[in-house]
Amino acid sequence: MASIEPFNRLVKLAARAFYDDITTKGENQPKAGRSDNRGIAVVILDALTRRQWVREEDLAKDLKLHTKQLRRTLRFFEEEKLVTRDHRKETSKGAKIYNAAVAATVDGQKTGREGDEKQKMHTQSYCCLDYAQIYDVVRYRLHRMKKKLKDELESKNTVQEYICPNCNKRYTALDALRLISPNDEYFHCESCNGILVAESDKLAAQELGDGDDNASRRRHDKLKDMLTKMEEQLKPLMDQLARVKDLPVPEFGSLQAWELRANAAGRVGNGELNANDPSKSLHGLGFGGTPMPYVGETKVEVAFSGTDEKGDVKSVNTNTPMKVLPPWMIKEGMNLTKEQRGETKPEAKMGGSLTTSELSDDKKSANVQDEEKNIQV
Amino acid sequence: MFFHIVLERNMQLHPRHFGRDLRDKLVAKLMKDVEGTCSGRHGFIVAITGIESVGKGLIRDGTGFVTFPVKYNCVVFRPFKGEILEAVVTMVNKMGFFAEAGPVQIFVSNHLIPDDMEFQSGDMPNYTTSDGSVKIQKDSEVRLKIIGTRVDATEIFCIGTIKDDFLGVISDPGATS
Repeated sequence: MASIEPFNRLVKLAARAFYDDITTKGENQPKAGRSDNRGIAVVILDALTRRQWVREEDLAKDLKLHTKQLRRTLRFFEEEKLVTRDHRKETSKGAKIYNAAVAATVDGQKTGREGDEKQKMHTQSYCCLDYAQIYDVVRYRLHRMKKKLKDELESKNTVQEYICPNCNKRYTALDALRLISPNDEYFHCESCNGILVAESDKLAAQELGDGDDNASRRRHDKLKDMLTKMEEQLKPLMDQLARVKDLPVPEFGSLQAWELRANAAGRVGNGELNANDPSKSLHGLGFGGTPMPYVGETKVEVAFSGTDEKGDVKSVNTNTPMKVLPPWMIKEGMNLTKEQRGETKPEAKMGGSLTTSELSDDKKSANVQDEEKNIQV
Repeated sequence: MFFHIVLERNMQLHPRHFGRDLRDKLVAKLMKDVEGTCSGRHGFIVAITGIESVGKGLIRDGTGFVTFPVKYNCVVFRPFKGEILEAVVTMVNKMGFFAEAGPVQIFVSNHLIPDDMEFQSGDMPNYTTSDGSVKIQKDSEVRLKIIGTRVDATEIFCIGTIKDDFLGVISDPGATS
């Protein structure tokens, strides 16, 4: 699914715009310096754009973060409706199924979890970015910000609030009937009979400067200023939103569905080279014990219904082509894709693929070629 | 806004009214009970225009009262948010002024009164512009826009604004010029 990239960019822009000063420390621990971890939210969101469903412990290990901190931030994101989380009880076996699924999609991630817990049921937590909701949430946030500023600017239709300075009780203008007093012309609190104070505009603080006629104009100017600055600073985000508007949203589905798909696709894609591949694969355990050797990506030719998405995802994550088998290796009756025969042009197009994944790929393709030799022999 | 709707009510009638004029007595009782009341859902019931149907009476156990379900057409008044109404000022206060539009009371806080109008206390407290051209005091007619309603079970209260275009004083009370 080539359309994941604009969405990832949207997530990154939104993270930097709105969440770059989120700290997971409570307000009563104002530690600065070493333990100040503001901005960690951006790092976490960026990491999530490069993964799909990921176990939280693994993410913490990758990012070198404390699990608790990560969890707190993820909980915050869950409340902001940016990520979906799934918690389920798993044995170590189940954990391996997940690991296999991950390996089938992501570039050579060697996850740990080598069966240290025998058969205990642990609650594992997984999380994944929810792109559809992110798009809506960001748009709603922008809309509310603009609306708030515009309303204050025209000071229209805001329901006035009143506070009692003695007992801090709050009233709105809708309670006005109960608040009038027969004696004087002010509103009185119902409980303590103190004189109520009108709460001023939230955004433009009332400055009791010189002359009241200036104060309202200054408020007005300040609000206008805020509005223009906001428009200008959020322009890249709004442009990205416009670009993403018509694209189909990347959808990973629930954790179970994603795992099934990932494992199935992984198995099919590597079906041709399916041999007793040694522990090159992940922990040797997948569905029904089928080994899943990790080979290059981009199954362009494999039109396996239900894994189209899967194939696309894989292609985006690593753009490495299938290795072209040299002609002297090709024998009759070998079930190879066109790419491997080196026939078609997709290979040329993907010639400029990422070099980063090549290192790991080299090792793997070397194994593949070994395999080939085994088969032939 | 005014609506003409069909409402239903169960009316209880004492046996002494049974006789030739049963139906008229029932209608009279209905009018007495219902006109002028307010329900949160429909608003203020202003007037009954007609009876649509009277159902079969049910005699209550223990007493001789009979319950008739009556369907009737009536005019109701219910204010809505965003509606524009004319109202008559009843009280002017430092925090704003109260006005009445028929049965409903509306409060306009000083925050929603144009900035150039200042409060002036006195025996006739009022809001007036700096050049004295426009004055809001008791019994002035104003046009206002409703920005919020509070609907209890039997009570409706509104807050309004005169800060928008075309809102404000329509006419001064006859006494002052």
